[in-house]
Amino acid sequence: MSQAWQRNVPVYDVPIVTKPLLAMLAFGAIGLVLTLYREVVGLGTTSGMTDVYAWGIWKTISTMVLTGLGSGGFAIGIAAWVFNRQKLHAVLRTSVITSFLVYACGLTMLGIDVGRPWNFYWIMMPWKWNAHSPLLEVAFCMPLYTCVPLLFELVPAFLEWVHETFPNYRAQIAIADKIVRRVFPYLLALAFLLPAMHQSSLGALMLLAGNQVNPLWQTPFLPLLYVWAAAYMGFAFVMAVLLVAHLVWKRAIDMDVLSEMSRITVWITAAWMAFRFVDLGLRGSLVLAFAFTLPAALFWMETALLLASILLLVRAVKEQSPKLVFVGSLIASLGGMLYRFDPTTLAFQPRPGSFYFPSAMELTINLGILSLGVAAFCVMVKLMAFLPASNEKFRAMEAAQTKAADTPLAKIKFALFASAD
Amino acid sequence: MQITRRKLLGNAAKGAAAAVAVGGVSTAALTGVVHAEEEKVAPVKAVGMLYDATRCVGCQSCVAACVQANNPTADARLDAQRQAPRDLSDHNRNIIKLYSPTDGEQPSFMKQQCMHCIDPACTAACMFKGLKKDETTGIVTWTGSLCVGCRYCEIACPYHIPKFQWNGFNPKIVKCELCKERLAVGKEPACTTVCPTHAVIFGTRTELLAEAKRRIAQNPGKYYQDHVFGEEEGGGTQVLYLSAVPFDKLGLPKLGNESVPGKYLKWQKRLYSYLLLPGALYLTLATFTRKSWRHHEEHLKHDEKETGLRQQL
Repeated sequence: MSQAWQRNVPVYDVPIVTKPLLAMLAFGAIGLVLTLYREVVGLGTTSGMTDVYAWGIWKTISTMVLTGLGSGGFAIGIAAWVFNRQKLHAVLRTSVITSFLVYACGLTMLGIDVGRPWNFYWIMMPWKWNAHSPLLEVAFCMPLYTCVPLLFELVPAFLEWVHETFPNYRAQIAIADKIVRRVFPYLLALAFLLPAMHQSSLGALMLLAGNQVNPLWQTPFLPLLYVWAAAYMGFAFVMAVLLVAHLVWKRAIDMDVLSEMSRITVWITAAWMAFRFVDLGLRGSLVLAFAFTLPAALFWMETALLLASILLLVRAVKEQSPKLVFVGSLIASLGGMLYRFDPTTLAFQPRPGSFYFPSAMELTINLGILSLGVAAFCVMVKLMAFLPASNEKFRAMEAAQTKAADTPLAKIKFALFASAD
Repeated sequence: MQITRRKLLGNAAKGAAAAVAVGGVSTAALTGVVHAEEEKVAPVKAVGMLYDATRCVGCQSCVAACVQANNPTADARLDAQRQAPRDLSDHNRNIIKLYSPTDGEQPSFMKQQCMHCIDPACTAACMFKGLKKDETTGIVTWTGSLCVGCRYCEIACPYHIPKFQWNGFNPKIVKCELCKERLAVGKEPACTTVCPTHAVIFGTRTELLAEAKRRIAQNPGKYYQDHVFGEEEGGGTQVLYLSAVPFDKLGLPKLGNESVPGKYLKWQKRLYSYLLLPGALYLTLATFTRKSWRHHEEHLKHDEKETGLRQQL
């Protein structure tokens, strides 16, 4: 089913409170209880981390890898606003809510991971900074990005929700709307600058690990490759999210927009791969890829995944097939994830023979927090307009709402349970 | 929307102008710091230790003395009795290891503790200077009130020295601080005081380096490559090593002469100098965004008129 994506429409025909939502919340609660336990007894008993592998999945996956997936707001935003790709405006809200929730999860995991979080307040005192620490750059930019420009990009959807739900406040909303429009372009530019900085600094983190990181990954261009990978990961992940959401909630797909996204993803990925190969070749590290070792195998796995995603997405555009877009974007996400994960753990060899695997509790806490993120996504797209649809869909929603509910309370009740009684 | 040739050319011209602006500012920023950057040298009064592996008998007196001086609470994992530590940990800032090859090659003892690098990777990594190099003594110390417990120092240190307290709600970073409390009252570090064979001695870096070179000159061929580890390695360290067996057999990493931060953070520092490049990038992004913003607003208004539906930002 294909229909033009003309505006964002909430998923109005499905209740917010569902069994999967309750299950995700319950899982999240387990994660939070275990987090309390971790805060009391320390990291040793709760995680698989050691002095050799001092960073586990909370940092290496939740913060360093997943925020790459959450770079849709950054990458798609730049394509839409800076490079003026008009078609992409249809998916901007989806990419922004995805980015916000992924970043919120990543920051939460970072907070759980650090041993002395109460000292973090120094971040507000620049004269206490070691300005050259890549981690300081991440620790400053990432929360700032999440709490200021990224949160701000959600405001229009929120104002719209208030406008629809509480008609009495429309005058105030009009004023707020004017202010938002006045500052929006400047905050948008900040929403592009900050991720460019901290996504590259995530790569710079591993620079200081020096030759403990395998030369197939360790390069002075690691920061550039990280932020570049975030670009295609952001595109690919938003495509995957859109397709899953539209499959689950049975909404129409706009292959025109998805083709545009696929095409851009293919170009970014292909250029990234070319750059990486040239860099490896010039530094003479490419020979290591032909050894019979784990790093070499990982390198080829990354290469194969990204190459496959390029071929799949090219075919998807040619055949106008949403299925191929879905598989292609999932594989591109995986390839990018593996690339950004390897230098932190699998291709990071502080001592020969050392090994890290997350403990069960470590995994549960991580998955618990992530399931809260997914739960928040489900609630947000049903409550407010974050997923693209056609104008007809919007009119159908308005008709259903006026039939079922007229007071604000009834409207919220309608959203929660998809019925007014 | 139609992209006309004129618009395309206009945009391209603006893009080129912005690129030139960013390029100009970045070149200025990069060259500006190249001059400011200089190779780090040890403080004049830098103190350190010289460990001569050929003199060590492996008695572990230094390990016990270190624990006594720095960590009076016993490692009570099992029965409150201290067990011989296997590695550096939050209980042991100093350890003696034995390299004993099976192929009949020469064995050797090895002492491990903080190297007190001249340009340390751990202090370069640390966000709020929780790990800091003293300006006069050059000792790298940890301050609890400035530490977030991120453990980036453990990732960065090429010698694997800083250790984290994995248990408890108030974890600390533990590493050798050259017994700075003892130095303050005129004593020597605990480990150098008790060594029966003077395998490890305390002094200023200059004295120690001269002593090491004297030993090499007196015993040609005795020491591996007639070389003092730490004179140049990783930008130089304040703890120096002499050994008969190759240094990497003792667990010392193969580093170039450039310090880890000097080698790996050079470009990062240049890119961020005075925030010139990020500033230029912001201006460029804002210029383009504002342009397409106006365009987008017109587009929205047009759609609103046509469909009668409230416009969405």
